[in-house]
Amino acid sequence: MAVIEIRNLSKHFDRVHAVDGVDLAIPDGELAVILGPSGCGKTTLMRMIAGLEKPTSGTISIDGVDVTELPPRVRPIAMVFQSYALYPHMTVFNNIAFPLKAHGNLSKAVIKEKVEWAASILGIEKLLERKPRQLSGGERQRVALGRALVKEPKILLLDEPLSNLDAKLRASARDELQRFQRRLGITTIFVTHDQIEALGMGDRIIVMSQGKVMQIGTPQEVYHKSANTFVATFLGSPGMNLIKQEKYLLGFRPEQFVPQETAERKDDLQLFPFTVKRVEYLGAEQQVYGTVNGMNEENRIISSLSSETNVKIEPGQTYTFAVHKDQLRYFDPDSGLLVEPGQMGDLK
Amino acid sequence: MENHATQNRKWSGRFRYWTDREDILSSLFLFPAVIYIVALVGVPFLIAVAFSFTDVTAGNTSLNFTGLDNFRAILKTPQFSQSLKNTISFTIISQIIIIILANILALVLSMDFKGKWFARFLIMLPWATPIALGTIGWLWLLDSKFSPIDWTFRYLHLLGEPDALLGDTKNLFYLGRLELAKASIILIYVWRMLPLSAVILMAGLTSIPQDLLDQADVDGAGFWRILFQIKLPLILPIMSIAVLFSIIFTVGDMAVVYVLTRGGPVYYTQVLPTWAYYKGIESGALAEGAATALFLFPVLLAVAIFVLRFSRRTEVT
Repeated sequence: MAVIEIRNLSKHFDRVHAVDGVDLAIPDGELAVILGPSGCGKTTLMRMIAGLEKPTSGTISIDGVDVTELPPRVRPIAMVFQSYALYPHMTVFNNIAFPLKAHGNLSKAVIKEKVEWAASILGIEKLLERKPRQLSGGERQRVALGRALVKEPKILLLDEPLSNLDAKLRASARDELQRFQRRLGITTIFVTHDQIEALGMGDRIIVMSQGKVMQIGTPQEVYHKSANTFVATFLGSPGMNLIKQEKYLLGFRPEQFVPQETAERKDDLQLFPFTVKRVEYLGAEQQVYGTVNGMNEENRIISSLSSETNVKIEPGQTYTFAVHKDQLRYFDPDSGLLVEPGQMGDLK
Repeated sequence: MENHATQNRKWSGRFRYWTDREDILSSLFLFPAVIYIVALVGVPFLIAVAFSFTDVTAGNTSLNFTGLDNFRAILKTPQFSQSLKNTISFTIISQIIIIILANILALVLSMDFKGKWFARFLIMLPWATPIALGTIGWLWLLDSKFSPIDWTFRYLHLLGEPDALLGDTKNLFYLGRLELAKASIILIYVWRMLPLSAVILMAGLTSIPQDLLDQADVDGAGFWRILFQIKLPLILPIMSIAVLFSIIFTVGDMAVVYVLTRGGPVYYTQVLPTWAYYKGIESGALAEGAATALFLFPVLLAVAIFVLRFSRRTEVT
C-alpha cells in the first residue's frame, strides 16, 4: 500500500509524444482508472510506472522513493497484462510461485503456503495442477491476479484485464475485482478504454488524450463536470451534444435532452426546436437523431429516451425538446475548456 | 466480336470449374514434387536396400540374395567400426557445440543493436556456400605448410619456438595428426550447421510474446532465470527440430571428410558416408557399400520419430 507520485513524466518515441508532461498523485489504497481512447498513451504511462519503459523525462516515486531509474524487478509493483501473460509451460502453481522464486530466499514450504493463500483468495485452489491452456478466460484472469498478489506488492497495475472476457463474465469480474481491491486495500492503477469499467470501478478517473491528462476526478466529476470538450464527448454513450453558439459551445448530455412534456421539473427549462431524422430502438432505450433548428451552424444532436416514454417520436417531425438550465455546460470554443457559469459574463 | 466473347465465356466457364476443384488442383500441384521424390529419393533408396541384401558388385551385375551376409561382413572390418564410431562421436560432439553456440548466437542476434542486419548476413554466409567449396577453403586454412592459422600462432609466439605453448614445430599439421584431424572435422561441421540452427532458434525466440518477457521482468526474474525458465523451455520444441535437422545433415554428409582428410590418416577419420563411397563406388563392392550406407538408417529413423514426438509433446500453445 503506497502513494504514487508522478511529476512531469514524458515519453517520446522519435517525434511521437506518447506521454507528454503528466503530473499525477495517487493516494494510498485508491483504485485509480486511467481512461482514454487507444493510442492516448495510457498503456505507455502504466509501463513506465512498472519500469518496462524508460521515461524521456520526469520522475516517478513510490512512497517518497524515486524509482525512475530502477528496473522493474526491484520496484514494489505487480502487473496483470491484457493477455494475462501466463507462462504456458508452467502449471498454475508454478505460475503463481514464479515471482516468489524469483525474489529468492524463500523456503519451499513458505512458497507453498503463500501460493495456497493467493489461490484461496481467488478461489482457484482446485486449478493449481493445471496448465494455462486448460483454463477458461475467467480462470486465467484469476491466476494472473494470484500471481500478481502473491508477492504482496505495494502497487497493483492492471492493463485492460477485463477486455479478454466475454460480456457477461466482464460484469461479474468487474464487481469481483472491485470488492477484492477494497478488501486488500492495495493501491491499484487500472488502465482501460472502456468507460463503463472506468465509471463503475474507479475511485478516481484519469482521462487521457494524446499523451496528456485531460481531467482527474471522481466518476461523477468527470461525467457531470467534464473539464473540456474531449472529456465531455468521450464520456457517455453517446457523448455530450455540443452546439456552436456565438461565443461558446453549448453542451448537454443526450439523456438530459428530452421532450418538454416529459421534463422532470417544469421551471428553468431551456427549450429547443428539434427536428427528428431517425429513431434507433435499442431495447430499454431509444436514441433519437436530429437537428436543433435556428442555430448558426448545422448540428447533429442525439437524445437518449427511455423506450417506456409515452411521447411518440416520429422521424421528420419537429418537437420542442428541453434541457434544465443547470444541466447546460459551456465551453470555450478555442481552448475547449469548461467555462464556469460565474465566468460567463466575460464571454457573453 | 460476338463470337469471340462467347468463346471467351465458354473457356473461362470451363476453366473456372476445374480451378474450383480442390482435389484436382492439389494432385496437379503435388505431381511434380512426387515424381521428383520418387525418382531421385525413393527409387535409389529402394535399390540400395535391395543391393544390401545381395552379392552385387560393379564388375558383376548378377544378383543373388544373400540375406544379412553383407552386414555381418562389414561389421567384422575395423574400417567399418571406426567409421561408425566416428560418425556417432562427430555427430554428438558437434551437436552439443552447435546447440550451445546457436543459443548464444540466437540470443545475441535477437537483441537490438546497430548493424544487426549485417551481422545476420555474415552469420548466414556459411550456410549459403556449397559445402564442398567451404571445405576447400578450410583445407587451405589448415594446410600443413602454409596454414594462416599456424602463421598467426607463430606471429603471436605461440608456435615454432622453444618452450612455445603449442610446441616447437613450425606447423601443427592439423590434418596429419589424428586428434587434430578429428577436431578439424568437428569444427567444420559446427561452422557449417551453426547458421541454420541459430536462425531456427532466433525464429523461436522472436515468437515468444513480449508480454511474457515483460511479465517475467515485473515478476522479478533476472537474465538467467528468464533464459533458463522462460525462453529455453518455450523454444524447446523448435530447438529439437533444429537438432534433428542438424543431426540428419551431419550424419548424411560426406563432402567434409571426403574433401578434408579423405578419411585419413589411414582410415581413422572415415565416416559411414565416405566409407560407403570408397567401398561401394571406388572399390566396386556395391552390396557392401549399400549395407554400410544403410546401416544407420533405422537409428536415424528412430531419432527422427523420437524428436518429432518430443517436440509435439513439449509444444505449449
